Amino acid sequence: MLEWWHKNRPLFLGGVLILVALLWYSVSLHQKDETNFLESVVLRATGPVQAGFNRIISGSADIWGHYLYLIDTAEDNQQLIEANRTLRAVLTQSDEVRLENKRLRLLLDFKEAEKIATLPARVIAEDASSWFRTVMIDKGNEQGVTEGMPVVVAEGVVGRVVRSSPNFARVLLITDASSAVASLLQNNRARGICRGQGEQLVFDFVLRQEEVRIGDRVVTSGMGGIFPKGLVVGHVKSVNRQEFGLFQAIEVAPTVDFSHLEEVLVMLRSQQ
Amino acid sequence: MNRTLTYLAMAGIAVVLQTVLLPLVLQGYYKPDLLLILVIYLGLHEEPRRGCLLAYFLGWCYDGVAGSYPGLNGFLLLGVFLAVRGIVTRVNTESSPLLLVLVLAGTILQSALAAFALDFFSQAAGIWPQIAWQLPVQLLLNFIAAFALLRLSVWLQRTFMPRKTLPGLRKLDSRYES
Repeated sequence: MLEWWHKNRPLFLGGVLILVALLWYSVSLHQKDETNFLESVVLRATGPVQAGFNRIISGSADIWGHYLYLIDTAEDNQQLIEANRTLRAVLTQSDEVRLENKRLRLLLDFKEAEKIATLPARVIAEDASSWFRTVMIDKGNEQGVTEGMPVVVAEGVVGRVVRSSPNFARVLLITDASSAVASLLQNNRARGICRGQGEQLVFDFVLRQEEVRIGDRVVTSGMGGIFPKGLVVGHVKSVNRQEFGLFQAIEVAPTVDFSHLEEVLVMLRSQQ
Repeated sequence: MNRTLTYLAMAGIAVVLQTVLLPLVLQGYYKPDLLLILVIYLGLHEEPRRGCLLAYFLGWCYDGVAGSYPGLNGFLLLGVFLAVRGIVTRVNTESSPLLLVLVLAGTILQSALAAFALDFFSQAAGIWPQIAWQLPVQLLLNFIAAFALLRLSVWLQRTFMPRKTLPGLRKLDSRYES
């Protein structure tokens, strides 16, 4: 017996260690939405270094792009002038709609939606692993950023804050596999949940009888308690309605280009 | 103590490389897992108790910059470390091809453990196809990174500490002579 124990002790101890680690991981998942002490220390320690490197790299890229590599600048300028002209025309038309909307709101005695304060932040680092989709930003608790706050850009939803330290925070992108956003189709108001799949999203739990077309816009429904209503999530990329089953399989392409994320806005007061 | 600090410093450099510098060079979200290579090296050349603690601690620190599951990387890196320790008495730990083969095997083991831990315990139930899809590229990247690190280590040792030897790199000089 003693001989058997001496022979198999390393295997037994290894098994126990791995089980303890798995158990601890399982228990830690209950505090998944809070930043633990070690994570906070790591954020504080790595944040300034990452921010420093990021500054050096973006400074060099700026010098190259703004002063040296100007081959397409004239063409870009011409395109921007054209786009500006078109947008001015659209803006004039939308001014009319805005004024009409204001008049009708007054007539109906609508309550104005509360404006949410936002805080601009710079993306300084990506996730260290290939499997997950998170980014680090240069704002943290001291600037009012806490876990659960939504993060957006002009094009739409980016994600939500999952870890924060005094001066840095980590944002879970909506394309991460653990991310889920309560959403609806802008056209027919069909509800569902957008889940991350690495680079795309899937729009789950949309009933089979709902009419969904490719290109339809998907926006947040405001039901999850994290994202306010009406933020753009993406566009429907493909629809697969099978003969049987309750729901349809819908793929959504996010409107935000996550590979070129540089500045984001943290919505400070939308936590419910 | 000095050795432990050296490992921690190497882990710090790995994190900066993986989060800031390598994403500029590599397209998409792919990046080599330098911490995995460090843990495999620990498994080959470090004594079990210190190595276990270090691998688990590095894993917890890794969670601060990767994903949103506290304890996941601790479990993964400890699993890889223990697997390497399990075979270390039966192989020639000074062999450089062995390190490269172990990096490939470690990547597969790490992916399998991650798919199991995420699928069974967390909300990220749909992540395993993503992990499986990324595995070939991840294997290639980790292999290239391990090969480059071996060459770099030998060069650094020869340039800055010509009279000293690095554990596991004693026999590499002739192999990586340029």
